[in-house]
Amino acid sequence: MTGTQLNALEVKNLVVHNTALTAVRGLDFTLPAGGRMGLVGESGSGKTLTALALMGLLPMGWQANGTVHHDGVDLIAQSDRALSSRRGRTISMVFQDPLSSLDPVRRIGVQVSSVIRRHTNVGKREAESQTIELFRQMSLPRPEQLMRAYPHEISGGQRQRIMIAMALACYPQLIIADEPTTALDVTVQKQVLRILNAAVKDRGCALMMITHDLPIIAAMCDTVAVMYAGRIVEMGPVAEVFRNPRHHYTKGLLDSQPTMDNIALDGSSRLASIPGMVPPLHSLPAGCAFHPRCAAATEACMTRVPPLDDGSRRTACWHPIEASVAMVTA
Amino acid sequence: MNAPVETPLLGRPLLEMRQVTQTYSLARPTLLGTRPSLTVLDHIDFDVRPGEAVGLVGESGSGKTTLTRILTGMEKPREGHVFYNGADIWDGDGERWRTFRRSVQVVMQNPRSSLDPRMRIGVSLLEPLRSLKIEGDHATRVFEVLDQVGLSRQALERYPHEFSGGQLQRIAIARALMPGPKVLIADEPVSALDVSIQAQVLNLLKDLVNNLGLSLVFIAHDLSVVAYTTSRVSVMSAGKIVEVGKPMDLFVRPQAEATRNLVGAILTVESGLAGNALA
Amino acid sequence: MMTMSKSSRIPVPAPPGVPAPTTASKKRRRLPRNASLIIGLVLTTIFLAVALVSIFYLPSNPNIPVIRNRLLPAGTPGHWLGTDVLGRDIIAQLMVGARTSILVGAGGATFSLILGTIAGLAAAASGKMTDEAISRGADIMLSIPGMVTALVLAATMGSGALTTILALTAFFTPSFTRVIRSAAIGVLNEDFITAAKLYGRGKIFVLARHVLPNIAGVMIVQFTLYFAAGILTEAGLSYLGVGVHRPSISWGMMLNEAQQQVGVSSPLAIWPGLAIVLMVLGLNLLGDGLRDVLDPKLARRAS
Repeated sequence: MTGTQLNALEVKNLVVHNTALTAVRGLDFTLPAGGRMGLVGESGSGKTLTALALMGLLPMGWQANGTVHHDGVDLIAQSDRALSSRRGRTISMVFQDPLSSLDPVRRIGVQVSSVIRRHTNVGKREAESQTIELFRQMSLPRPEQLMRAYPHEISGGQRQRIMIAMALACYPQLIIADEPTTALDVTVQKQVLRILNAAVKDRGCALMMITHDLPIIAAMCDTVAVMYAGRIVEMGPVAEVFRNPRHHYTKGLLDSQPTMDNIALDGSSRLASIPGMVPPLHSLPAGCAFHPRCAAATEACMTRVPPLDDGSRRTACWHPIEASVAMVTA
Repeated sequence: MNAPVETPLLGRPLLEMRQVTQTYSLARPTLLGTRPSLTVLDHIDFDVRPGEAVGLVGESGSGKTTLTRILTGMEKPREGHVFYNGADIWDGDGERWRTFRRSVQVVMQNPRSSLDPRMRIGVSLLEPLRSLKIEGDHATRVFEVLDQVGLSRQALERYPHEFSGGQLQRIAIARALMPGPKVLIADEPVSALDVSIQAQVLNLLKDLVNNLGLSLVFIAHDLSVVAYTTSRVSVMSAGKIVEVGKPMDLFVRPQAEATRNLVGAILTVESGLAGNALA
Repeated sequence: MMTMSKSSRIPVPAPPGVPAPTTASKKRRRLPRNASLIIGLVLTTIFLAVALVSIFYLPSNPNIPVIRNRLLPAGTPGHWLGTDVLGRDIIAQLMVGARTSILVGAGGATFSLILGTIAGLAAAASGKMTDEAISRGADIMLSIPGMVTALVLAATMGSGALTTILALTAFFTPSFTRVIRSAAIGVLNEDFITAAKLYGRGKIFVLARHVLPNIAGVMIVQFTLYFAAGILTEAGLSYLGVGVHRPSISWGMMLNEAQQQVGVSSPLAIWPGLAIVLMVLGLNLLGDGLRDVLDPKLARRAS
């Protein structure tokens, strides 16, 4: 490791586009070393393309512009080769579907230990014993037998823990997790999150959690960025943003969570919902992209894009919700 | 095992499963061995009364899917009976079967897959009427149902790919409503939708129960979503119904281990912020 | 020799330890796909037009030898591509050859499409036993080399266009069956099929109104690719002398005749060879282009 690295990630004006569409329209954020940031968004918000851009894994036809500083280099300017030697070493990713992320015809032990051998200078034996140790840290049962198993022979939760083990194998500075528990059964979800949480904490590695699930962000992260139609609309410490949302979209998302608080005993309760639908990329509204669904929208919202203001609490809204108003509904 | 829950209104069950057991035979382990069998449902009793919304929760592999298939008549149970309006659906004439088909309709999980991409929405909506040979003014019926689910008439001329997931789920609900069913079975109807859209669809289902007097069977893995929509919830585990209760009681005093696991699995924003959710 | 389709999809290379992205919204560049469709369409249309014109008009009779015109070079007025060893006009022969190629290729592909669709849908929609029987049957038929089938048929029935079409049908049907079976199974697993069953639609209706429209793209693409393969096979058979006979003319037969003149008049072999290459290339490009345009999954993704 070279010197003190203050930030795991510094993203400036990140734009992701193809010939016809722009999916990510200028992101700015900083993730300090060891920090945990949540990226919330619905389908079409650009959150997954953001992650793939950071990893240099954009699908064919898509291109990223801007700067992404990580480990003293600009990831966007790196060659494919340089990026590929980085992936799994200083930055790694956990995907949604662990089954299609593992090679079905290679034994699990070989897959994980080959990652270790690729990035560090250890022998086969040493890599295997490190793998077994990793499996143990992931609370995987009978790690020695697991080494010889094939991906289809184990459960989804176990597969996702193996993916986490693989991502952590070389002590990266940053892990990007894209909906890591969405494909898992509810009862397994918490266990996987717990293990990911502990492992990231132990290693002091930074975490970027990408999900549509607000409770997961509340439990795992210290800051949150809310994305809508390719832009960050609100950002700040997770407790402040979730307790006192200032953007109407954030508040709408929070209010539409079914929880025990909004289930009346007589069954008469209704969930608050955001009207309308997420705009498709090819016909984004002018001005603030959220204005057609927003109750507070005015003339200004329809024509001018609200800038993301500065400070620890950042909001991109012409009519942010005042703290006192939000407290009433909380 | 199944503690009776008072249902004040309602009367006789409309759709009912009695002592249903379903087993599948597996491959022979050896050439001459006997086929082992797997019991997926084990003496299940389950019912829904007129105008009632009931929930069914359980982990994957608990038997939810098989129960849904049997409840909708897609599969015939090895043992036990399925009654609609007091009559065994597997023991009657074609007329009884047709009544059952019009009266019990299903909304599925993935709205992209539940509409034929090559059919205009209007044609898809008319399909149940044509198939079940339901007489009457079809156009009026289509407009009426579109109003009920909150869609405009322009939708009729379009194809599924022109709609978002949430709109498609409304269309799928509209198609299920077309034959004028008495029971709507919703199998994970919101888990494939965006968060901000889930609430819209949940509210819609709730309105349908309240305004049309429909019975609803809501099947999901997420207890809080089911609790929001229904007044009585059955918890399944390993092919059995292990607990039945009002949603609030299940949250506050879960009895069965499976219920405790499901309640324990619920993450909320508040519990997450409190910092002990993953402890 | 069969399918010449080249997939233009290059997956994002996944380095070890980092799996490939699974759910990203994949979009591909539109330009090359449209280009192959247009080029394919133009080439195919030209050949179809030539074949059609040959029914009504030929510059001269391609079967009557005119000894004084033997081996005229290309560029001769009245015989712009020259004449063969018996003085017959090359253009006229190529035009009749186009008719034969298209008749045999399209005939073989059409019969295979019909039989393959019936067998494929039956395998996909009936029980496990039927499926096994049809699928294993297709496997067995695929293991018999097509040329052998054609030679045996030619030996027993006599060679000619009809025999060649029958041989192609026997040869191609198993492939159509497989492709259509797997496409149909994909559609039958969709939820709208379940929904249709739940409002009482029967198997035949589901296959006709839901499955067929959704696999039409696959069927059309398969048809164009095997159309091309049929033309190649026919050329091969005629070249071996077990294809069509005069007064019918095929490009393969022209190659066979020209072969005896190589060294004397090499261009004679070039013209039919070029016609085969362009026609097969056109159909393959058309098939590839159509695949991208018609595939419902791709269309859905692009929307």
